[in-house]
Amino acid sequence: MSDHTFLPAWREQSLGRRVFLRVSAASAASVALIAAGCSGTTTTPTPADPYQLALPAGDSGLLYYAYLLALAQITLYQKVVDAPPTDLTTAERAVFADLRDHEVVHQKTISYLIDTTGATQLVPTDFVFNLSKFTLSTRAGVLAAAQQVADLVAAAYPVLLTLFTTSSVPQRTILLKMSSVQARQAAAVRDLLTPGSFANSDVVDSAGQLLTKTPTEVMTALAPYFAPYVISVASLAVPV
Amino acid sequence: MKLISILDHLAAAPATAAPAPRRALLAQLGRAAVAALPLGAALPAAAAPADTSYDAVTQLLQLERTQVALYTQALAATGLIPAAQTADFQRLLAHQTQHAALFLKALQDAGAIVPALPRFDFSGKHGVATNPELFPNVLTNYDAFLALAQQLEDLSVRLYQTQSINISDSQLLRAALRIHAVEAQHSAHIRGLRKGRGAVVQNWPSEEDTAIVRPAAAQALTTAATGGEENGVQYVTPGVPIPFASLLLISTNTAIHDPALAEAFDEPVSSAAAQAALNLFV
Repeated sequence: MSDHTFLPAWREQSLGRRVFLRVSAASAASVALIAAGCSGTTTTPTPADPYQLALPAGDSGLLYYAYLLALAQITLYQKVVDAPPTDLTTAERAVFADLRDHEVVHQKTISYLIDTTGATQLVPTDFVFNLSKFTLSTRAGVLAAAQQVADLVAAAYPVLLTLFTTSSVPQRTILLKMSSVQARQAAAVRDLLTPGSFANSDVVDSAGQLLTKTPTEVMTALAPYFAPYVISVASLAVPV
Repeated sequence: MKLISILDHLAAAPATAAPAPRRALLAQLGRAAVAALPLGAALPAAAAPADTSYDAVTQLLQLERTQVALYTQALAATGLIPAAQTADFQRLLAHQTQHAALFLKALQDAGAIVPALPRFDFSGKHGVATNPELFPNVLTNYDAFLALAQQLEDLSVRLYQTQSINISDSQLLRAALRIHAVEAQHSAHIRGLRKGRGAVVQNWPSEEDTAIVRPAAAQALTTAATGGEENGVQYVTPGVPIPFASLLLISTNTAIHDPALAEAFDEPVSSAAAQAALNLFV
């Protein structure tokens, strides 16, 4: 059922912008209220701000969340592959191609988990992860941007896994299989930027466990790059 | 007292015809532990598809103890680890020590019997001088040491994946998932160190990696570390694979190289395969 409820939401849009990730009119309205209350910048009385994207509740919301993380990574890594800074070595360019490839596989996997038919458009056509705030013309800038994103995604997955409620072992397992790859990617990028900075104390606590981030923390960190779209994770379960 | 639930499954575990690995031993240990727990008998029966929480915790403890021993011995071996990398391995040792302490405490808090600390022998001779040496020079040759360390870290990532499914205590599960990520960072780093020394290896298991050659009697380690990592089939529901062939065909990124599909997923290892590998060092 939930697969189908995504479709009418954006098809009804007549503004040329498709709103995705809305489970019901009720939740859309509540999102609009939250937006109005928080920002105070809503100037139109429309019940659904076209730039306000609310992740649905439950596992599907978590999958959308993971989808957006993959989208962010692919956008960044693809840009580096397409236009590498001159001082990025051949070996390092190969690493970025691998990172891009892994994330494309992850994104395809997640989108299949959300909708096996592939019919659902998961994001509005003009939705992008905006790279303009990164410095991608130098090796140092590229690696710093990659570390920022890779660390964030690695920190997101252990929390995401605990929020996932499906009893389906294959579904839980597939996300688990991706989570350690995210951590590998983060370590690889960290070691490229600063050799030996893998699993350093800024990402691992004094118990030897990865410092994690909640969906709210992750999406707050990524918010500047998703603007003008605003992603609401209010419907997702809150980590204990 | 959430950690008591470590013994949930054990208390309710039926004596099945096909016991999980080490079940007999663990059941014996567990009965003593459960006897000390007044609540143990009242816990609900659960279908235990694989190991119990107790199995999971004791196996992870042995894994971490193995890694603690390896890094302790390596750091003590004069001239083995280059000065520039000493800090790396001190960090690895610190993390593994912290992980071992967590599982030790979990067992103690649950009133379970804690397995004795084994005497580790990384030559593969099991402490018997006349036995064949399965892992030559691992404490004298840096490359040989790194290869062994990589395999144990790879195994570690995979075993956390496997056992996190079996851990019933939510607090311990959260810890295991966070440790899982740290082990993956460890593995990626050691792979990177080997790459820097000319080995053909990626930061993640890849079919493009040059295989680490071991004698047949030590094959259990290679099997546990990377056996099955080349798997390119993932399931959404049992028996229904994700149609990557069509999904990746329509990708706008047309240049994905073939090994990436398997690289994008770390694969779990069976607890039996993991145990066979761990048994090589005690």
